[in-house]
Amino acid sequence: MRVGIIGSGVMGEVHAAGWRQTEAELIGVHSANLEQARRVAEEFGIGVYDRLEALLEQADIVDVCVPTFLHKEMVLRSAAAGKHVVCEKPLALNLQDGQEMIEACQRAGVRLFVAMVVRFFPQYRLAQELVSKGQIGKLGVMRLKRVAYVPRAELSDNWYLDESRSGGMLVDLMIHDFDYARWLGGPVERIFARVNRATDGPGQYAQALLRFKEGSMALIEGGWAYPPGVFRTALDLSGTEGLIEWSSDEQAPVRSFTLSRDGSAAAVGLPTAGLATDPYALELQHAYQAIVSNEPFSVTAEDSLEALRIALAARESMLTGQPVSL
Amino acid sequence: MRIGILSFAHLHAEGYAALLKTWPSVELVGFSHEGAEEARHYAAAYGLRWFGRPQDLLTEGLDGVIVCSENARHLELVEQAAEAKVSILCEKPIEVSLEAAQRMRAACERNGVQFMTAFPMRFAPAAQSVQAAVRSGELGAIYGVNGINHSEIPKAHRAWFADKERAGGGAVMDHVVHLADLLRWYFGAEVTEVYAEVDNLFYPQEVAVDTAGLLLVALENGVQASIDCSWSRPTWYPRWGHLKMEVVGERGTVVMDAFAQHLHLYSRGAARPYSWPGFGPNPDAALLQEWLSSLREHRAPSVTWNDGYQALRVALAAYQSAQAQAPVKIPHPALG
Repeated sequence: MRVGIIGSGVMGEVHAAGWRQTEAELIGVHSANLEQARRVAEEFGIGVYDRLEALLEQADIVDVCVPTFLHKEMVLRSAAAGKHVVCEKPLALNLQDGQEMIEACQRAGVRLFVAMVVRFFPQYRLAQELVSKGQIGKLGVMRLKRVAYVPRAELSDNWYLDESRSGGMLVDLMIHDFDYARWLGGPVERIFARVNRATDGPGQYAQALLRFKEGSMALIEGGWAYPPGVFRTALDLSGTEGLIEWSSDEQAPVRSFTLSRDGSAAAVGLPTAGLATDPYALELQHAYQAIVSNEPFSVTAEDSLEALRIALAARESMLTGQPVSL
Repeated sequence: MRIGILSFAHLHAEGYAALLKTWPSVELVGFSHEGAEEARHYAAAYGLRWFGRPQDLLTEGLDGVIVCSENARHLELVEQAAEAKVSILCEKPIEVSLEAAQRMRAACERNGVQFMTAFPMRFAPAAQSVQAAVRSGELGAIYGVNGINHSEIPKAHRAWFADKERAGGGAVMDHVVHLADLLRWYFGAEVTEVYAEVDNLFYPQEVAVDTAGLLLVALENGVQASIDCSWSRPTWYPRWGHLKMEVVGERGTVVMDAFAQHLHLYSRGAARPYSWPGFGPNPDAALLQEWLSSLREHRAPSVTWNDGYQALRVALAAYQSAQAQAPVKIPHPALG
């Protein structure tokens, strides 16, 4: 099948590299930023589509990698064109939009895959498998960490920092761990969250306390709070019969110690997976395979909507200072 | 200095005894303990004289006593020591209710004796370095703190830790006070609000106290902090547990793992086949040194009754919050 990417920013480029590791034919990219699109196209030897209509016409699968506030429009247009859709997370900025997007794809008879990439990180996946096999007994307390630095403005317009366009840190970043915690713990009963913002600038740090209907609880930590280039993630899953610990602080299979240049941090922090396992490629391989063979996705658009529901509840709790029941 | 230990119920008594025995300036006169069989064991193990009743030890002309009983017996022993005009180092949490804690203070004030709360982590160089980083301003304005005091369930060492009557609760009562105290001490600020989820998620069939607890608290200076006090480490974990804190600020983050200085030991036939024997400084030793100095210098110790009391308020607020499923405010009239 032929894949076209909409958006040429950080995620457009990451996904282009991911698609390269699938059997799909990556035909090209469309972007509002033509110069950036040309760079990406050149890097991957693909075409640039000046007009969205032209890309929609020629692709079988459209990969929506534009900023979050544009997801809805692009997903609806792709569905209307009868194309399968891969959409970056978060699916939408609010539940109603997300629901409309899911329904539009259903009506159009096209598949909608939301790229909840953390489910494809090998350590997160292995931990989930071990928990589901009962290796740590009944789940008790989950601890999840995802703290990065403030996304930097490579462009003049840093939409990540604009909550009305990105949903903000809780919706853009912490949604990964809300989704992961729900994957393991089941439906959420209630959530309480605190967010502290920088006295100056867009920095912020949040902690959320979740209680699940099946009994377990979770402490989820997220932030745009570290110095540029520092991105730490961790999981700690404890149960009645055992414990799983993992932290990105642990040693990587290869470490290098070199004289480095200043300002070498990427614009937006992405966790690294280690050697030879690109989770972005894994998620796109999975999406592609499921679309081609018409099999269910391992993570559904409804899952991504539920993760959004938790993130929005966290934001509400932060504003009201009270727990929010789901 | 003539020192006594009131009760060996708390396992820290053994560590204190071992340290005090080695210091030439200290004469460890003996200990009181209720159970005769246990007492004979400790007397033999540490070469100590056993007194069946606290009163008998308290009339030995002591400079100070360490109260290492079950939490819910602290008041009784502190009152006896105070009446005997002997200054006190008291294990944490200082009691299981605010009323009992207040009566302890009254007894000490009435009799003019000093009271120190045993918060050893203040004497850990790692925690001191975090405090210095916070106070120096190098981290900038602080967003928040992520705090962990995990352990295995302590009932294998001392059954009363998992007994509501004697301990006053489970994991929350056992661990929250350590991190609450470090937070108060790092920032010189009180905890003003507590939200908590508390439950018995790890040993529902075996004990009747909470074994899982997560707190999200606010300090008067606006800093948010989480405290994970869960007994969530398995009994086959390489060590009893750990104490970790990350302070996240606008200009920097400090990551503390207070007991990170350890070897990796793989020993066939050991109780823990893989274990983490530590080689870092022992905070209990520095805690005892400060207490002995305060006795020698007839001054108030650096960690006071109020420190123990404020930390206990946080732990009790966690139980209230979990019950109410709502945040609980901790009033501090002096803050206005």
